[in-house]
Amino acid sequence: MSEGRPRSQTIAVIGAGIAGVTAAVEVAETGYDVVLLEKGPSLGGRVTRLNRYFPKLCHPTCGLEINYRRIKENPRLKVITMAEVQGVSGSRGNYSLTVKTRPRYVNANCTACGACSEVAETEVTDPFNYGLSRVKAAYLPHEHAFPMRFVVAPEVIGTPEAEKIKAACKYGAVDLDEVEETFELSAGAVIWATGWRPYDAAKIEVYGYKDCPDIINNVELERLANHDGPTGGRILRPSDGEPAKKVAFIQCAGSRDINHLPYCSMICCLASLKHAAYLREQYADAEVDIYYIDIRAHDKMSAFYDRIRNDPQVNFIKSKPGHIVAGEDGRPLVCGERTIEREIYRNPYDLVVLATGMVPSLGANFTAPADLEKDEYGFVLPSVADDGGQFSAGVASGPIDVALSTQSATAAALKAIQAVRAG
Amino acid sequence: MDRKPGVYLCEGCGIAEAVSVDDLEQVASGELKVPACKRHAAFCSEEGVALIAKDIESGEVNQPIIVACSPRVMTDRFTFPDAQVIRANLREQVIWTQPPGEEDTQALAADNLRMAVAQAKNSDPPVPHGEGGASRKLLVVGGGVSGLTAAREAARMGVEVILVEKGSALGGWARKWSRTIPHRPPYRDPQPNGIGDLIAAVEADPAVTVMTGALVTRTAGGPGDFTVTLSQGGKETSERVGAIVVATGWRGYDIARHEYLGYGTSPDIVTDIEFEELLANGGIKRKSDGAVPSNLAFIIPGDSERMPYSSGVSDRVAIKQALQVIEAVPDAMVYVIYEDLRAHGTAEEFYRQGQEAGIIFQKGRVKSVAADLTVTLDDDLLGQEVPLSGLDMVVLSTGMVPNSTNVDLSPAEEGADQLADDIDPAAPVKVARGNGEDEAEAAETSGNGAAENGAAEEGGEPALPGGPILNLQYRQGPHLPILAHGFADSHFICFPYETRRSGIYTCGPVRRAMTIADSQQDAQGAVLKAIQAMRAADASTALHPRVGDLSFPEFGLDICTKCRRCTVECPFGAIDEQDDGYPVLNATRCRRCGTCMGACPVRTISFKNYSAQMVADMIKAVEVPDEFEEKPRILVFACENDAYPALDMAGINRHRISPYIRIVPVRCLGSVTMLWISTALECGYDGVMLMGCKTGDDYQCHFVKGSGIAQERMAKVGETLKSLALEEERVQVEEVSIADSGRVAELLNSFAGKIDEIGLNPFKGF
Amino acid sequence: MSVALPAEAERTYDLNFARWVYRNVNGGDKLSLCMQCGVCSGSCPIGTQMDYGPRKLFMMIRAGMKEEVLSSNTMWNCTSCYRCVVRCPRGVPVTYILQDLASKAVEFGYAKKEDNTRFSKAFWWSAKTFGRTDERLVTAKYYFSFGLVEGIRKGLGNLKIALGMIKAGRMHLGASHGVKDRKGLQAILKKAAEIEAREATES
Repeated sequence: MSEGRPRSQTIAVIGAGIAGVTAAVEVAETGYDVVLLEKGPSLGGRVTRLNRYFPKLCHPTCGLEINYRRIKENPRLKVITMAEVQGVSGSRGNYSLTVKTRPRYVNANCTACGACSEVAETEVTDPFNYGLSRVKAAYLPHEHAFPMRFVVAPEVIGTPEAEKIKAACKYGAVDLDEVEETFELSAGAVIWATGWRPYDAAKIEVYGYKDCPDIINNVELERLANHDGPTGGRILRPSDGEPAKKVAFIQCAGSRDINHLPYCSMICCLASLKHAAYLREQYADAEVDIYYIDIRAHDKMSAFYDRIRNDPQVNFIKSKPGHIVAGEDGRPLVCGERTIEREIYRNPYDLVVLATGMVPSLGANFTAPADLEKDEYGFVLPSVADDGGQFSAGVASGPIDVALSTQSATAAALKAIQAVRAG
Repeated sequence: MDRKPGVYLCEGCGIAEAVSVDDLEQVASGELKVPACKRHAAFCSEEGVALIAKDIESGEVNQPIIVACSPRVMTDRFTFPDAQVIRANLREQVIWTQPPGEEDTQALAADNLRMAVAQAKNSDPPVPHGEGGASRKLLVVGGGVSGLTAAREAARMGVEVILVEKGSALGGWARKWSRTIPHRPPYRDPQPNGIGDLIAAVEADPAVTVMTGALVTRTAGGPGDFTVTLSQGGKETSERVGAIVVATGWRGYDIARHEYLGYGTSPDIVTDIEFEELLANGGIKRKSDGAVPSNLAFIIPGDSERMPYSSGVSDRVAIKQALQVIEAVPDAMVYVIYEDLRAHGTAEEFYRQGQEAGIIFQKGRVKSVAADLTVTLDDDLLGQEVPLSGLDMVVLSTGMVPNSTNVDLSPAEEGADQLADDIDPAAPVKVARGNGEDEAEAAETSGNGAAENGAAEEGGEPALPGGPILNLQYRQGPHLPILAHGFADSHFICFPYETRRSGIYTCGPVRRAMTIADSQQDAQGAVLKAIQAMRAADASTALHPRVGDLSFPEFGLDICTKCRRCTVECPFGAIDEQDDGYPVLNATRCRRCGTCMGACPVRTISFKNYSAQMVADMIKAVEVPDEFEEKPRILVFACENDAYPALDMAGINRHRISPYIRIVPVRCLGSVTMLWISTALECGYDGVMLMGCKTGDDYQCHFVKGSGIAQERMAKVGETLKSLALEEERVQVEEVSIADSGRVAELLNSFAGKIDEIGLNPFKGF
Repeated sequence: MSVALPAEAERTYDLNFARWVYRNVNGGDKLSLCMQCGVCSGSCPIGTQMDYGPRKLFMMIRAGMKEEVLSSNTMWNCTSCYRCVVRCPRGVPVTYILQDLASKAVEFGYAKKEDNTRFSKAFWWSAKTFGRTDERLVTAKYYFSFGLVEGIRKGLGNLKIALGMIKAGRMHLGASHGVKDRKGLQAILKKAAEIEAREATES
């Protein structure tokens, strides 16, 4: 099947989070053609939804802005959004990717003027905010969206409102007839940068994620802390909108647990330390308890751990809580044993944040080609075969942080280039 | 080349509804006398783009001034070969922040047009500084795993490599190791050490020239054209290389500094490095009597002073070594004592393997290790102090200190100050103060413990020992810049390879403690960046972050006063001083930030498309109302990487901003010269605000030092203002991040309010 | 009979007792996987009643604290609710280990020293006599094992709880009900004892 095709020098990068964007830009800037495929309507993946990075507490959009500029200025790099890879066949030098695009209902004529949004009335769940807020059915994914192009929510398609939205656009950009399409893409090498999703906290039934609105997960907290999130950056209790000042962080919510994720997700400790910093920056009287098994301050992060640890209003409790329940007043109660003191506790909080781990997005049911090696968790292993043409970057390759993701993406770019050079 | 500007007034996205495009056309054609001026309902449409393209093709226009949306959008469509595109931002920064139809909105739009035309008048297409011919040879320094991998990977890309190793053999530490930490499934067992194969592959590679027992004694030039002097066996040779990968690795932390750990009091208290050598050389034997130990404790000290050198690598090494003990001596009692067991990611599996094999993990703080090998610890989980006695051997995790200097050399006379840490790891975390919920009152509290343990003494840690690795012939000194604890400098989250020395990339444990597998990956990344640097040098284009930029600073030496500020302030060491005192540019080192331009007191440094004159003319192009109109004008210099996008996003969110603000994007705040500020005040502006990135610890400036230098310069502006009898508050410097789309509006509006309080600039109209 | 206990350790953290537990206690082979997270003790509905709780007990096993472990009340207070087993992130069968530690404590004569076994004995008496546990009889048997006066005092102290249980239908009034075929029950128990004895000699 693949033998007849001419060898391709193009490199396909699947997923446009920080790893995919980095890999694609690095490939293009070395003089090779690259196609960057993104499932969502805009680039940036998980990191664009983060408020800040540890340990510098800087904003992810800062680095993304530079990367987007590099993309805009590089004719070798082609971006396709709303595109999901359904399968890959072939071998190094001539892979064929089956790509399905979902309709955005907005074409390239869009200027992002916002007229469509003005006439839209229906509000849909805002996927960017993990459903913590609602957004008009014609929307810009977020303020830093790249490409800066609107989306019409499928919910209104077929309704008179959709026609109204279409009519509001002066540039013929709203195309209600868009349908799912499938096409084949040829590539000489493939970089998997499919990233991750947070572990479904509802599966840890005893932690009450579904039972109490004030038990949230760590990615949701990032949105609450973000200036363009549902609360404008104020960390408020979802139940009553009151400031969340007494907050518990539950480490290893899912990770390091053979009933859930057997591996350590690596980032959650540092993320909670960072969240403690958010809270302390917002509220002078904030009190933070971090429940942990081990604080795994990897890399150069131990200094950051020390900085947070020296704050008297941040307490570290070595304990994996047994369960979290809603108390009589509705506030979440964290119950367990303080291991060092050997004390049984029931501690009430304004907000409980479950430090959920990372699950590779590339599902187990995905039919991968023969030369793609995955481990039992679904992480794509770096190819060690001499004739390999598929590589992985970022969290698709293992539970790693952003610094390691950009490192792995740059390395994957080199390996992919070597693969297409070898043919 | 003649400049042929053409103004393209876009009416789309509500511009025509918010402002009078007729009036703008009048400004362009009538007032500014731009020969070509066209309008279209949406210039970004196919038809609109074709209209501009046609004018360019016909030769009528070579400077299309597109008066429409932000330069951050529609970039691909508004890119025309052989034309210099100038953008005037009327959408994000005018109609989306201003009420439609107002006189002030119209004035703002007209001023943005005027500034764009002034920009065009001072702008020429950049020409390449070089003519190609860049070297495609790579120098790799360090022959350990990272360096060997770098050499091998570069050779695979068809790049010729010189690999320099100061020791007598290749392989570095790994050559002395037995087995390695697993990084592939099932992540459970120590893996074979592949160093022998790697060495053999590199040695057999015709593209790699290996020099052992060799040092780099001098490095001059820049990317594409480094001249390196290599010394081997007392003989010096010179090589021309295009880029350099520094993979100098690490050395063990001196654990004897922590007396309580007892190192040196017994031959059977060894470091993990020593223990690894035992494992590699035929087995585990006590140094004291050659007996095989059967009771061993591995201690991973949690001492925070040492932890940055460990970062979880030590923890995994301890598990590996303990597993190897049990493999060799199945009945052995093996303890791993830790405070936090850092077995990240899939290494959790390795930890489980260790437990299953019978290693006892004890969480606790070691209080002492006695000469009889009794380890006393506070066992956190038992809640009691435990004397662990009857041990045959104690193994101490040491941690990996980066070799950012060559400790075998005596310290260089110059440049010692260069080795002061750039980032203070104990810098305080920002916290809110008082009982109010007012975030504006955020303050910084000291991380008290850190200061006490000595990590944050005045002036940071003592300077690193040893001499420079590359002996850089740079104005900024011979060393590679470092971050806290001596780790090589980089924007280590987003752009891990970008250092302040263009074309020189560090990888492996010199960047941060890492495992063999990690180091190999890191080396691959560094090689790719090195190859890009050589390509860019050949094409005369800039490296990160202004990738592809052809412009570069030119020096008008006729009026240069040899003040040397440009050479001192360049964050990248791109400008050297010649013997006669004049500056000379190493163009391939230059990142095009313009900090030199901001430093120059006589405005004689300029880029073809960015100059002191250009911005001064843009400042003057704005129509400043006279004092009777009582409408102030406030000038904002906004960093184009962060503040400018934040201002755009203020528009995207439709935040209202004072109509009196005029925004000039700058490449970096470092490029802002004091003369622009005095020009503005002389022209009657009532206030000036500089918006740049965070400086200091955890800097966010893409040019590392640019915004910091700007702050230093502006610290002196108050004196100047006072001498002019102007209020100091008229000039403000603000740290603005890209996420400040809401805050920029507040900042500008409150600054406008403050100017209103102070009153108008008394120089208005003079 | 089980393998004999290791001799008294000369030092802390002597692993011989831990290794004995790994090899001889049901579920003990998984004990080494315990990472001391505390979820077992924190999940235990009667964790406050235990002197150590399972987590600390397991650490004490590693520390070679044979006497303290086998004399502990922790395993005797276990109600076999299995919360700890379900929640343990390392798959340690906490309940089984506690149960077997209790039986080892009896076997090696540690249980006599304490009151630990009283409740279990009362429970077992009810189970073997009636084939069911009767809350009233088990409680009464347990309370009166402390002596008459103490038994009455304890009983009165729990009156409120008892009334609540009756109200909620969790404790019935009237004659205690057992299984229908008590003879059959006795035969089963006899057979089980035989098998147990045979297995003990065989191993």
